[in-house]
Amino acid sequence: MIGGIVIKIAFFSALAAAYLYYRVHRTQSNRWLLVARNGYHLATLSLMTSAAIMLYLILTHQFQYTYVWNYSSTDLPLPLLISTFYAGQEGSFMLWALYTAVIGVFLMQYSSRKDYEPEVMSVYSLIVSFLLLMLIVKNPFEYIWNSFPNDLIASGPIPSGVTNSVVLDAARGIWARFPVEGKGLNPLLQNYWMVIHPQVLFSGFSAMAVPYALAVAGLMKRDYHSWIRVATPWSVFGAMVLGTGIILGGYWAYETLGWGGFWGWDPVENSSLVPWLICVASIHTTLTQRKSGAFVKTNFVLSLLTFIAVLYSTFLTRSGILGDTSVHSFVDPGMWVYWLLLGCIALFSAIGFGLLFVRMREMPKVPVEHSIVSREFALFLGAFALSFVALFVVIGTSSPIITTILKNKASAVEISYYIQTNLPLGIAITFLSGLGQLLWWKHSKTTSLLKSLAIPTVLGLATTFVVLLLGSEEFLILLFTFCSAFSLFANLQVGYGVYMGNPKFVGGSVAHVGIAIMCLGFVTSERYDEKKTVALEKNKPVEALGYTMTYVGYHPYEGEKYAFSVEVEHAGKKRIVAPTMYYSEFTKGVMRHPDLINYLTKDFYVAPLSLEEPTGTEQKFEILKGDKVEAGSLQVTFMDFDFSNMQKGAMVEGKDFSIGVDLEVQDGKKKIPLRVLMKNTPQGPEYPPVPYVAADKSSYEFTLVRLLPDRDDKSKSKVEISVKLPDNAAFPKKAETLVIEASIKPYINLVWVGTVTLVVGFFLTIIRRVEEARLKGSPPSSE
Amino acid sequence: MNAKVIVAIVVVVIGVILGVSNFIESNVEYSDFATAQRTNKKMQVKGEWVKDQESQFDAEKGQFIFYMKDDSNTVVRVVLDGAKPNNFELATSVVAKGKFEGDVFHAEMVLTKCPSKYEGDSEAVKQSL
Repeated sequence: MIGGIVIKIAFFSALAAAYLYYRVHRTQSNRWLLVARNGYHLATLSLMTSAAIMLYLILTHQFQYTYVWNYSSTDLPLPLLISTFYAGQEGSFMLWALYTAVIGVFLMQYSSRKDYEPEVMSVYSLIVSFLLLMLIVKNPFEYIWNSFPNDLIASGPIPSGVTNSVVLDAARGIWARFPVEGKGLNPLLQNYWMVIHPQVLFSGFSAMAVPYALAVAGLMKRDYHSWIRVATPWSVFGAMVLGTGIILGGYWAYETLGWGGFWGWDPVENSSLVPWLICVASIHTTLTQRKSGAFVKTNFVLSLLTFIAVLYSTFLTRSGILGDTSVHSFVDPGMWVYWLLLGCIALFSAIGFGLLFVRMREMPKVPVEHSIVSREFALFLGAFALSFVALFVVIGTSSPIITTILKNKASAVEISYYIQTNLPLGIAITFLSGLGQLLWWKHSKTTSLLKSLAIPTVLGLATTFVVLLLGSEEFLILLFTFCSAFSLFANLQVGYGVYMGNPKFVGGSVAHVGIAIMCLGFVTSERYDEKKTVALEKNKPVEALGYTMTYVGYHPYEGEKYAFSVEVEHAGKKRIVAPTMYYSEFTKGVMRHPDLINYLTKDFYVAPLSLEEPTGTEQKFEILKGDKVEAGSLQVTFMDFDFSNMQKGAMVEGKDFSIGVDLEVQDGKKKIPLRVLMKNTPQGPEYPPVPYVAADKSSYEFTLVRLLPDRDDKSKSKVEISVKLPDNAAFPKKAETLVIEASIKPYINLVWVGTVTLVVGFFLTIIRRVEEARLKGSPPSSE
Repeated sequence: MNAKVIVAIVVVVIGVILGVSNFIESNVEYSDFATAQRTNKKMQVKGEWVKDQESQFDAEKGQFIFYMKDDSNTVVRVVLDGAKPNNFELATSVVAKGKFEGDVFHAEMVLTKCPSKYEGDSEAVKQSL
């Protein structure tokens, strides 16, 4: 209740702040500035309060709230219990709004120093208020009896046995019950990644609102150039944080969820990638504008699109529109959220692009440098290619919507779509990221371009040759390998040169080195991976992919979960992997988690498929009439057929009948008759198993397999029977068998090393750009 | 017209062709078993698991085998590369993506559709009282 009110206070004060800031901008008087600021602070404070209330409700297990009941339970350890805050849609919107609001507090101080506060903050407050509106539409503080009135609300006296109840209307005797235990957290989310990943991802999402707000502010102020200097540190910060979030998600999928790789082109993954790509593209085009003043409009468009992409992504993954076409189940949040999200996209597009359209004519036109071999053109093409990747990913992810419109039947694209469209673009991007850096370097030094091209080209070719030896014959993959390696060595070379000159400027080169290393990792781990399904009978070593694996048994952990230990021997060293499987009451299915061994040059990845229970040994015999066979400790003789249960003509008329086979079992000294049979039913023949308990108390099972009568010579008639032998030391059963999919991911460490390098590069760039933005009014530094 | 504009136009045209052709090619149509068998193309078929017929995991090949009835009541043996999908018992319907190999539908992926969250929740809330 109180939480909902606090959210409403936050919403109205954010809306008021947006309006008052706008008024400050219009009147150019600071009369309302303080009030606007306080409005924004009140909104942030209220939102923080409601988040604190939510956390309190979760920590104290207040299951009378639908959200708390839906995602948490009393048995969760503290970190996971806290993480249920953002396990559902309402809570993750709240987290997003919270981070956005908090970032805004810093943005306020920052922009006031840059003389940008009224414009930026009016736009930004509007964004915050729309995120809050989402929380009003989809209230995270809803009482459970309002969600399930038919199940929980009752009238009349409260029965004495009911403990958890609340009186809603004393006068009319209306009361409601509420749960004592929550549904709990989806086991897929129950690990430490859940504690880190969404936090980082939503921080990144939140930061993406800043370039948008600054771009609109620039348009409002008719300032078409210096807004970029103000915006860049935020764009780079957003790209760094969101990039980290994306790759953390990839690692989560790889290491815990068992998707088999770190990227599955899933809508949820794609929708965080697209804003990142556009943001990175905008970082590149703003570089050109800083230097030559060109790309004024492009920079507005890209900065606006970064945030629109965040909204569109949210719409795709949160509105339920992708419905049936993905492995993720998307909860349908109801029409209100659907239309509100669409409305948000429309509103913020209209504000941004509308204003851009109005201001377009008065924008300065700066001719772009003419040479094709120039850093500016390389940057432009690179950003262009990045935008195209973003566009292709958007189209692919939106496929269910597009196909619904075109064919009235939703269908998703396959992963091959993403690879085939993006591979050529990846080749272009990696090549340009090497060439562009060399061209820039050439300008500042006197080295000739050709000379500087020599080392990266030679080393790039050498790398490609090594990959060729590994066995690839795909031209595009080889080209991609070459371009990635070329970019790696070009950027190392440039980075070294820059570092010698001014270490502060090295961020760009470091980031590019990171991307190049990642790209090489993509090639080795995704294109040269090997996979094999292996059945591991307990304690029996099996060799596959050059590794000897022995399943040694399972042990329970955390109650009802099971870890399956497999000994892996490779190059003389033994190590244990323990993939896990367990039945989850929450998902009503088997959860499977992989395990891996991380070698320097590769990962050995073991994904569990199933555990086959041991079966008693079964033996099959074909016995001639009158003959004797040995089954376990018994001797079995085939005596005769028994057709007595078969009326004449029944077989022809298709009626039920049965044919018996009389056996004689010699058990020690006793001779016992035993009959197995075939029953003919309209559904076809059935062969019911016949149990037999021997004198030594061991149990057998006899089943008729088929009848092989000989019409001409009845003495040559045969039957086939199967005998299930008892489970004891004399007849060892086939042991339990663990079925796994083993795979090798060569040089996957390159992906992680590249990621860390990329983040370091972003970080160095932020430091530099913040410093530069602080020196307001100084002439543009040489890039 | 300068060289850069030409380069840009060529890049855009190639990009559009690449995108459109791949989009069409990689979109797997929803259909039924009869059509999938006739056209011999990769398709997605929606239907339900026939629970009273054999279903088993082939440990040697790592394949899950089951029978599936599509919306026009054709029953087909489906071989899935991989283990039994999660929530298979609960699923109200399943979608198999793959291609016919003779009379067997070889699926590379099977998605399970579970009862809508809120239908299930009404039961769940009663249980947790």
